[in-house]
Amino acid sequence: MNSRYLVDGNLLRQRTYRLVLYFLLFAGCAIMLLPFFWMVTTSFKVESEVLRMPPRWIPKNWQWINYIKAWNVAPFGRYFFNSFFMAISTTIGEVITTILAAYAFAKMRFFGKTTIFAVLLGTLMIPGQMLLIPNYVTITRLGWFDRYEALIVPWLASVFGIFLLRQFFRSIPDELREASRIDGCSRFRFLWQIVVPLSKPAIMTVALLKFLGSWNAFLWVLIMTNSDKMRTIPVGLTLFSSEVGTAYEQLMAASVLAIIPVLILFFFTQKQFIQGVARTGIK
Amino acid sequence: MKSWKIGAIGLVLVLLFGLFAMAEENVTITFWHAMSSGHQPNLQNLVDDFMAEYPYITVELSYQGGYGDLQQKINAAVVAGNVPTMAQAYENWVTPIVEVLYPIGPHMTGLEKADIIDGLVPSNTYNGILYTVPFNKSIMVFYYRKDLVPTPPATWEEYLQMAKDLTADTNDDGTIDQFGTGFRPSANPEQFLNFLEEAGGSILNEDWTEVTINNEAGLAAMEYAASLAPYSLITSAYMSDAFQANQVCMFIDTSAGYYYNNKAAETAGFEMGVARVPVGPVNQKSMIQGTNLGVFDMNQTQAQKDAAVLLARFLLLANKTVFWAEKGGYQPVTKSAYVTEEWKNWVATHEYQQAISAQMLDGFSQILHPNYGDMRDIIATSFEEAMMGEAAPKEALDAAAGELGALLE
Repeated sequence: MNSRYLVDGNLLRQRTYRLVLYFLLFAGCAIMLLPFFWMVTTSFKVESEVLRMPPRWIPKNWQWINYIKAWNVAPFGRYFFNSFFMAISTTIGEVITTILAAYAFAKMRFFGKTTIFAVLLGTLMIPGQMLLIPNYVTITRLGWFDRYEALIVPWLASVFGIFLLRQFFRSIPDELREASRIDGCSRFRFLWQIVVPLSKPAIMTVALLKFLGSWNAFLWVLIMTNSDKMRTIPVGLTLFSSEVGTAYEQLMAASVLAIIPVLILFFFTQKQFIQGVARTGIK
Repeated sequence: MKSWKIGAIGLVLVLLFGLFAMAEENVTITFWHAMSSGHQPNLQNLVDDFMAEYPYITVELSYQGGYGDLQQKINAAVVAGNVPTMAQAYENWVTPIVEVLYPIGPHMTGLEKADIIDGLVPSNTYNGILYTVPFNKSIMVFYYRKDLVPTPPATWEEYLQMAKDLTADTNDDGTIDQFGTGFRPSANPEQFLNFLEEAGGSILNEDWTEVTINNEAGLAAMEYAASLAPYSLITSAYMSDAFQANQVCMFIDTSAGYYYNNKAAETAGFEMGVARVPVGPVNQKSMIQGTNLGVFDMNQTQAQKDAAVLLARFLLLANKTVFWAEKGGYQPVTKSAYVTEEWKNWVATHEYQQAISAQMLDGFSQILHPNYGDMRDIIATSFEEAMMGEAAPKEALDAAAGELGALLE
C-alpha cells in the first residue's frame, strides 16, 4: 500500500510539475506572441481602432485594403527583391569566408595566429555608428555608392561568425584530421567533406543570424544608397512614420509582409538553429 | 543697313541663341528630403509642377529616412564630397557646413527676400547672408477639448488654473486618469523653450559666449512648467495617443501634429479646438519648427546650382507655399501667401488655421549654434527632471547650465 501511495505521490508530483511547466511555457509563449498578434490584427484595423482604449484586439471590420495601401506607398516589390538579393548574397559569402577563416584559426598553425585573432575580436568592440562615416567615404571613393557592391561586399565577412565557428571547429578532434591525412585527404577536402558536415548546426546558425541581420539592416542601406531601386524593406518601413505621428495600420501591414520570409526561413531551419545555439553556447 | 548694324544684330542673335541654348541645357538635380509617405505625394506634385515649367530640369527626389538619418547622411556626404544638389536641413545642421553651401539669398530679388516671414529670416541667415530658405514650417499651438474647455486659456495663470480644475479621478479608483494637460519633455523640449521665450529668457546670450538659461527668466519658465507638473501627464508617446485615451484635456504641441491630434479627438468622440499659446509674463511668442532648404556647392556644376536655386525660389511662390501648407499641415513661409485669396479662404473654412496663422507671424526659431542638437538634449533632460519631480527647477536648470557651459568651451 505504502509503495502504491509512493508511486501515486510521485505521479502527482510529476503531473503538478508538468502542469506548472506547461503553464509557464504557455505564459512565455503568449508574451512572445502578443506583439505579433497585435501586429497582425492592427494591420487589418481602421486608423481609429489602432489606439483605442480599452484596446480592441480583433478588428470590427477587416481592412484588407491596408495591405494594398501600404504596398503602394513605395516600390515594395523592388525593396523585397533587394532585401532578398542582399540577404542571400551576404549569407552565402559570409558562410564561405567564415568557414575558411575559422578553420585557419581553429586547426592551422601560423605566425601571429593568436594576435591576429585577438585584434579581430577587438574590432567587435567598436560601435558600428563610429565607423559609418569612414565607411561611407570608402564606399564613395570605390565608386560603389548606390550600388549592390555597397550593400553586399562589406558584409561578406564577419568577425562574430569567425569566432563562433572557430569555437565549434575546435571541438572537432584533431585525430580525425590525422586519420584523414593518412588516407591521403587534402586539408581542403577535410574541411569541406568532414568538418563542414559535422558543423552543420553552427554553420546554419551563422547563416541564419546573417540572413536576419541583412534582412533587417536599416542604417547602412539608408546611408549607402540614394535611389529607390537600391533600397530595402526596412528603409521602406520608415516611410509610415513621421515626427508627429505614425500610420500604424499601414506600418503593421508592411511589417507583416516583411517578416513572412524570415518566418518561413526560421520554420525550415529552426532545428539546426536551436542545435547551433545550444552547442556553441550563444545566449 | 550698315554692315556694323547687321553685325551687331547678328552678334545679339548669336548671344541670345547661346543663352537660350545654355538655358535649355538639360540638368539633373538631386533633392534629399525626410518627408514620409503622407507628405511625399505633395512634394512630388510641387516638383512635377516645377519640372513642367522648366522642362530642361529634372529633379530626383530622394527620401533619406527621418531627420536624424538625414542629418547623419548629410554629414557623411560632406566628408566624402558626395553631397546632393540640395537638401532639407535644420538650422543647426547648416552652421558647421555653411562653407560648402551655395547661398540662395544673393540669387533672389529684394522683393522675394523681403517676402519671407520675419521670424524665419534670422534662422536662415549665416554671416549676414541668406544661405537657406524656409521650407516645411510648423509652430507650437495650443490644442484643447472643446467639451471641457469652452474658452482656451489666454494667460499662463489661466492655463495653470484650468489644468488644476480639469485634473480628476473620474472613475474614483484613487488614481488620476484625466490630466488637465500633458508634456513630452524628452521628445519635445520645445514645450519648455516656448515657456522660456515667453518669460523673456534664452538658452545663451546673443553672441553665444554665456549660458543664460538659468537666469531669472529661465527660472520663471521652469518654475511655471513645474507648477503644471502635478496636473500633467508626463509621457514620451505622441500627445495624440493620450488625447485619444481621454487622458489629457489640453496641451501645447506643433501645428504639424494637427492631423493626428484631430483624428484622435474624432475617435475619442469630442471636438478639438486650436488656439494661440497662452501669453507669458513677457510676450506671446511661439516656436517655429521644421527645416529649411539648402543648396550645396561642392561638386555641383553651375547649371545644377542655378537649377536648385530656381527650385528653392519656386517653392517660395505664394501659391506653392500655400499648396504645401494646405496639403501637408505646414504653414506658408512668405508674407504674400497669407494675403492670397486661396489662403484666406482656407483659413476661413478651417477654423483651427486662424490661431496657427496668427501665431506664425509672431514666431521665433531655434538658435543657429552648431551644438544646438546636443543643447536640446541637455535641456530635454533638465525639463524632464523638473517635470518628474526628480530635481527642483533651479537645480535642474543649474545642472543644464553647467553642461551647456561645457559645450560652449
